[in-house]
Amino acid sequence: MGLPDSSQDLSTEMEVDAFRRIFPLRFFERHLSESLRPDARPLGKARDTIVNPGLVSTADGSALAKIGSTTMLAAIRMEVMTPSTDSPDEGCIALEFHMPPICSPTVRPGRPADAAPVISKRLSDTILSSGMIDLKELCLVSGKAAWMGYLDIYCLNADGALFDAALLSAVAAFSNLEIPVVALNDNGRIVAISGGKDEDNASIIEKKAVNKEKRKLTLKNIPFSLTCILHKKYILADPTTEEESIMDTLVTVVLDSSDQMVSLYKSGGTVLAYSSAVKSCVELARKRAKELKQILGEMDID
Amino acid sequence: MEYVNPEGLRLDGRRFNEMRQIVAEVGVVSKADGSAVFEMGNTKVIAAVYGPREIQNKSLQKKNDHALVLCEYSMAQFSTGDRRRQKFDRRSTELSLVIRQTMEACILTELLPHSQIDIFLQVLQADGGTRSACINAATLALADAGIPMRDLAVSCSAGYLNSTPLLDLNYVEDSAGGADVTVGILPKLDKVTLLQMDAKLPMETFETVFALASEGCKAIAERIREVLQENTKQLEYRRAA
Repeated sequence: MGLPDSSQDLSTEMEVDAFRRIFPLRFFERHLSESLRPDARPLGKARDTIVNPGLVSTADGSALAKIGSTTMLAAIRMEVMTPSTDSPDEGCIALEFHMPPICSPTVRPGRPADAAPVISKRLSDTILSSGMIDLKELCLVSGKAAWMGYLDIYCLNADGALFDAALLSAVAAFSNLEIPVVALNDNGRIVAISGGKDEDNASIIEKKAVNKEKRKLTLKNIPFSLTCILHKKYILADPTTEEESIMDTLVTVVLDSSDQMVSLYKSGGTVLAYSSAVKSCVELARKRAKELKQILGEMDID
Repeated sequence: MEYVNPEGLRLDGRRFNEMRQIVAEVGVVSKADGSAVFEMGNTKVIAAVYGPREIQNKSLQKKNDHALVLCEYSMAQFSTGDRRRQKFDRRSTELSLVIRQTMEACILTELLPHSQIDIFLQVLQADGGTRSACINAATLALADAGIPMRDLAVSCSAGYLNSTPLLDLNYVEDSAGGADVTVGILPKLDKVTLLQMDAKLPMETFETVFALASEGCKAIAERIREVLQENTKQLEYRRAA
């Protein structure tokens, strides 16, 4: 991926590319022995991360997250529903992760990608168990009406570390979310109030508004994740698709903003990890969580 | 409801023959062989092209000495106003077919036998004219992938409301119940590849609306050409470095 050295002639440049395709593992190991990766990153460094909130105007909250080339677009739509009888004061979040065929040459139309439902479930578990969202904040009228948030995450470009980018985009979308203004009308149903230009609207808002103005959710314990690859004695943070396809042992660590561990995921692989390796992954995740916290903080100020 | 006020301004302040703002960018999906983002006002579409590559399902191959072109159109769950969509409804299937046939007409499939070209379209925001935005995005993505084409396929829609032909309808104008004519043309060859209309129109009015849509198409073709030329210049700079 680096630019060819202008002092070398074309034939040497061709050989490097061919070597990379035919002997990928040896190509990577030559780099790892110098503590570098082909894109010149040190082993523990993640790729450049960008978060852009509020891109989808048809949604109540949205964000685009890019880690290197991996791009995720998350958007939330809120709908009113009746809460269940055993939790009448709580709303609900439904999360779905999609990998449309545009994101990768390996995804075929009509057949969902293998990774998609796995990531969907892990994301759902992580977000709910981290306690980032207090479901009681989504309640409108106890026992009768509560908010259901549909979070859809679309992968627009799959270049490794899909879980990390998806989690980041979900968190950013939640912090961008503004709950719409609604009121209880005469039939006892919740209706949306738009604009507020009519006098009728104003009187409804004063008398029966359940949500006086667009409000944001309070997010505590925001989860941040980092995926690492274990290979022999090396630990590589934030892998690309090429690295993931050659080296198969992935460890994902999720920490929250108070430095507590939310989740740890290692699903098999040829490398067996000693606890020292896991501790190193957690250390790398801690550093990454600080970076991500700062990026999200800058996003909010804008 | 008044869609064109007495001064000739539409609901969003445009005149009858003004298009919405176009934003077009090439090379947005790094994993794809060719990709593009195309925005017409609030309608945003991403197209990705994979190919030519090996045919994955031999049973679909009908003509041996031509490339197989596959197209899939899908809308994101958050792309439209209130309701969540079913993932593969009839409208998506129909649009996939329409766009596939439009692009197939302009790709030189006889130059790439025994191969498959996949065109994937994802609508991120829908505000009327998604069909046209998808065809324009697909053209850009195919050009970015270096697939040989006869000409650029460009598309635009026009309608007829309050006795005025209107160019490039948005969602509100489209659902007003008037006619909606979508035209796809190959500008240099000056040939029509796609023509769809619903609702009733007298013949002379139809010809006016069709002419307006074709004008819109030519303007889009200019814009697409500019974007592709700028992209080629960028590639040249990077290569020379």
